[in-house]
Amino acid sequence: MSNPVTTDAAEKRGIVRQVVDFLVSEPADTYRLLFYVGLVGFISITLFPFYWLFILAVTPRGQLRNMGLVPEGFNPSVFLTVLQEYPLHHYIFNSIVIAGITVVICLVIGSLAGYAFGRVEFRGKGPLMLLLLLISYFPGITYLIPLFEMLSGTLTIGVFVTPDLYNTPWSMAFPFTMLSLPLTIFILTTFYSQIPDGLEDAARVEGTTRLGALFRVIIPLSAPGVATAAIIVFIGVYREFFFSFMMTDGQPDNWAVLVYGILNFQQQHTELWNLMAAASLIGILPVALLVILAQKHIVRGLTSGGLKE
Amino acid sequence: MMRTIRRAVSPVLYRIERLDEDRYGYLLIAPMFLVLSVLAFYPLARTFWVSLRADDLYGTEPIGAFEGIRNYWMILSGDANVVLSYPFFSLENPLSSALVVTVGITLISVVIGTVLGLGMAVILNKEFRARSVARTIVILPWAIPIVIQGMMFYLLFQPSISSLVEPLHDLGVLSANPLVSSRDSMLMIILIDVWRKVPFIALIIMAGLASIDRSLYDVAKVAGASKWQQFRLITLPLVKPVVLIGMIFYTISSMKIYGIVEASTGCSTVPTLTCLVVDTFRMQRWAMASAIAFLTALIIGGIVMVYLVQFRAGVNADE
Repeated sequence: MSNPVTTDAAEKRGIVRQVVDFLVSEPADTYRLLFYVGLVGFISITLFPFYWLFILAVTPRGQLRNMGLVPEGFNPSVFLTVLQEYPLHHYIFNSIVIAGITVVICLVIGSLAGYAFGRVEFRGKGPLMLLLLLISYFPGITYLIPLFEMLSGTLTIGVFVTPDLYNTPWSMAFPFTMLSLPLTIFILTTFYSQIPDGLEDAARVEGTTRLGALFRVIIPLSAPGVATAAIIVFIGVYREFFFSFMMTDGQPDNWAVLVYGILNFQQQHTELWNLMAAASLIGILPVALLVILAQKHIVRGLTSGGLKE
Repeated sequence: MMRTIRRAVSPVLYRIERLDEDRYGYLLIAPMFLVLSVLAFYPLARTFWVSLRADDLYGTEPIGAFEGIRNYWMILSGDANVVLSYPFFSLENPLSSALVVTVGITLISVVIGTVLGLGMAVILNKEFRARSVARTIVILPWAIPIVIQGMMFYLLFQPSISSLVEPLHDLGVLSANPLVSSRDSMLMIILIDVWRKVPFIALIIMAGLASIDRSLYDVAKVAGASKWQQFRLITLPLVKPVVLIGMIFYTISSMKIYGIVEASTGCSTVPTLTCLVVDTFRMQRWAMASAIAFLTALIIGGIVMVYLVQFRAGVNADE
């Protein structure tokens, strides 16, 4: 007498065995299958939260309950609401200005230092680079209190009081410079050191000064490296949270950045889920564009900066 | 006009021209050194100095008399827990103590993230059409603002709008409102941390994979090694130093975790070390906050040392 349950189980085992047989007999196909499963898996897990923001943003507020995988209704005006009723563009503008200031400071100082580390032989080079590494290792909080004192005008040096920069772009641009400068220097050192000595010598024979050679030969030739450093510093500042959060009072007129533009929605009493999602999507837009346009640069910069040791 | 400027500048340029290599190098790094002295070295020294002082909650300045390592001693012995918003370390209620929460999140996140990152690196290292599109998509989570990383998952685990929470609750994985339970929020923070850092460690590992000599695989193929054997015997040992470097950066960054917590569940549900410093700072206890900040740095330093020993051991074994 055959038990229906066992035949069912046997049948299942049959299917499993067939699959296993196929996988074992065709190893090349198995690896290809694994490859596609992995690739599709990674991409869908990466994109799902973005898609989720999209669903929430375009669903009208009244219908936001137990959302599934498709939006309920379509309400694109939410993106305009976020910009018109809340000054989200103002926060994003502040973020971009502060990131721009930081990029310029880091590139100027970092170019000089990167040239020194990459092309000039001087004593104490190794230890100085280690010192740079040390800065990026300490958590942001270990710098917070003195920087706060210094930039909010409460630190006195003899008779001088530091200027009150709280609620100005500088109260963020200076900490960001400190955070980004080591990585900028590592990236630029790598790129500058790759330029053949002959080109620099040729320029010197032609009669340029040492500094002239740096600005007329080395920097133009490593334009991709300079662009890479600029993009990575920009993204790093744009996504930063800690000092952006601590160094302003959150008013857009006081140079509050995107962090507050997004968090403001959380502090409202009514639940503005669709606005939160729309604001997040708009906030992502500038960096998403940068990533799409400069993916190769970012990959190269992160790996050359990260593996410098 | 131009001529006067040139005339004024040229002796300076001439002086620069005649410097020896050492001095020229120092001249070029001088701006960097100046900026970092003010913005990095001074703050570090100041934080350390403040951490050795007492808190003065009623005076005009929040920093009181010199007390030596008393703050550190109070934090480590647990005497400071009464004045902190949540304990630094406590065994009775581990999920509410900053050290346990932070180390727990870091440990789980680094292990899962490294394994996934290795997988992603192997996949994206293969030649296939649309590889650069795949790479672009995959870097996105790393590049977007931290506050939005937190916000995304805050919205994903919001029980009233997400149909994800209820089935997971029925399965017993999450409680009814995961955003207020410490355990669930910790799981969520780990999920966000893995989601945003896998691309980063994958990129670093990919750079390591690219430097492996392709002919090793040809030899392995001739010798009849399967793909899995090739991965285990060639890829893994050669890429291990790079993986360790990636893990160091990953660990340092996870130990500082703060932004995604503040933007999603809030510091009271997932009290990390940085949360504790910020809360203590806001209570005007600057000295205590500085001491916790420095202890955090010391703990991270200890963990990095463990990695470096591993790294050395690996490199020496190769030679």
